[in-house]
Amino acid sequence: MTPQIEFSGVNKYYGAYHALKNVELSIKKGSFTALVGPSGCGKSTLLRSLAGLESISSGTLKIAGDVMNKVPPRKRDVAMVFQSYALYPHMTVEENLTYSLRIRGTPKAEARKAAEEVAATTGLSHLLGRYPRELSGGQRQRVAMSRAIIRHPKAFLFDEPLSNLDAALRVHMRKEIRALHDRLGATSVYVTHDQIEAMTMADHVVVMRAGVIEQQGRPLDLYDRPVNKFVAGFIGSPAMNFLPAVGSEDGRSLVVDVGAPQTVPISTNVEPGRKVIAGIRPEHISVVAADSGLMRVAVSVVESTGSMSYITTATRPELAIVETGRTDVSAGDLIGLSFAPQSVHVFDAGTEERIG
Amino acid sequence: MKRVLSSITDGRGFDIALVALPLAFLLLLSGLPLLYNVLMSFQEVDMFSLGTLWRPFVGFENYRKLFEQPETLPILGNTAIFVTASIAGQFLIGFGLALFFWTNFPGASWLRGLFLVSWVMPGLVVGAIWNWILSGDFGVLNFLLRESGLISGNIFWRSDPNYSLWAVVIANVWLGTSFNMILLSVGLSAIPGDLYEAAELDGANAWQRFWTITLPMMRSSIGALIALGLIFTLQQFDLFAAITSGGPNNSSNVTQYWAWDMSFRQYDFAKGATISVIMIVFVMLASIVYVRSTRHEVRG
Repeated sequence: MTPQIEFSGVNKYYGAYHALKNVELSIKKGSFTALVGPSGCGKSTLLRSLAGLESISSGTLKIAGDVMNKVPPRKRDVAMVFQSYALYPHMTVEENLTYSLRIRGTPKAEARKAAEEVAATTGLSHLLGRYPRELSGGQRQRVAMSRAIIRHPKAFLFDEPLSNLDAALRVHMRKEIRALHDRLGATSVYVTHDQIEAMTMADHVVVMRAGVIEQQGRPLDLYDRPVNKFVAGFIGSPAMNFLPAVGSEDGRSLVVDVGAPQTVPISTNVEPGRKVIAGIRPEHISVVAADSGLMRVAVSVVESTGSMSYITTATRPELAIVETGRTDVSAGDLIGLSFAPQSVHVFDAGTEERIG
Repeated sequence: MKRVLSSITDGRGFDIALVALPLAFLLLLSGLPLLYNVLMSFQEVDMFSLGTLWRPFVGFENYRKLFEQPETLPILGNTAIFVTASIAGQFLIGFGLALFFWTNFPGASWLRGLFLVSWVMPGLVVGAIWNWILSGDFGVLNFLLRESGLISGNIFWRSDPNYSLWAVVIANVWLGTSFNMILLSVGLSAIPGDLYEAAELDGANAWQRFWTITLPMMRSSIGALIALGLIFTLQQFDLFAAITSGGPNNSSNVTQYWAWDMSFRQYDFAKGATISVIMIVFVMLASIVYVRSTRHEVRG
């Protein structure tokens, strides 16, 4: 099956600035793809070049098998939900929804019926006569999505659509967008800087940095086997702990330095003396009695939310530990830490690429 | 006493003082002359009663007499033509230029600023320049029209009754276009760019985007500009004084010039005041439109 969207060897320059570097990305029909990365990583540029709002400097972009490099946005048949929503302020909700239909010359009655149908699925039926300025943030968001849905486009593009909403609404809209995607059988591309959004909503996550796709794959694959230190640190919350380490004599363990050298077993082979970075996720460390475990550390801060306890150690670099439920550890205590050898990720100290 | 003092330096007294000062200024220098003018239009005024305030009251006699004069209706007609043609010309060319500069080619903002030169020039200077351009025997405009084959003989713009009003209209359009362009440019730049992106993705071509996004979003700017245009064109006096002096035979005379001519050349102060009062009514209507359109701004 040809992919619905395909970037091959795509580059984008703004003058001398290289914004997209040799992007290879193929998006299956019906999939939900998240582009995620820190600001300035090129994820929005990639989305905008998919929409045609930016031109690509070299490479090929195909939508449903057709080369789109020179095709203007209005002929690409993709719909976009903007971060600012970009609702037409001088039009009612209904006029906003039917704009694309009216532009195409759809008869009034037919456009109206389409608007009512879409509004019913997104819960906007009672708001069709209102103007955007009379709506709340969440309602505007729904109008922006409905405006995209009404067209049955080849792809839905989302540009950080939830970043203007408050935290509770964001979590709610996350599920709503995903449910809508499943119901419509749509192909969605979703840009976000929030890795939680990407992990929870998408079935394909693309992590970008400085115009380069660092890694792409299923969300949990990225979590389990990050290809480099950047992806390891970006995916997962709280972020992974990184400790400078050296391969020890037996080749199956590392000597990590957290103030005092400590030896920890690993599941991969590292040549003795090789400088590496050991990464371990806070949720994979468990607290044990001070005289047992793999490391002995002092506690500097304990934060409890009731369901979770966040422990920070007094080591250098400091370690973050997440315990489920409550903990009886308090600041100043000496504790032991234990973790499974296979939960230690090893990265080369120079290239920061994954080892093993 | 202390409370009053402290209220003036910090409190409601200060607020009132801030409002009262400009209000007193306006009342003294604009309000009173305006009221005096209205009063005068209902009185019998001659050279000898000019210095007194209470003169014989004649009711609407001045208005009745004014409309009996044969030149009144043509002059009102001239004023309507002058206002309509000037606003239409200034607005259309100004909007065209604003859209042109909006494309933001290299040097656009610099060139746009340069256009303002025409607007900051004194009307009398503009009039003098246009006198040369419009000159019948050796004017540049006639030369261009003749060389391009549009006319066969020279047009005597300033002395031919068929063209004299249009001579002033052309100069006034030139004078006011840049102001229109600047205000419309501001209105254009206030439209969020992502609306155009959304419309583009919704399938609208450039022409459709102009009609469905640009024009409706500019409604308040356009309303304000037309109202201001009406006010400014009714104030245009210098060009008439410099180019045609209302002639020949009133063919280019308009109310604002006529009011001055009536008062200070024919010394018929009552009729001069009467013409002004008629103009005040129109300007007031335009002001209401202006205030209303700036209040109803559509912003997302």
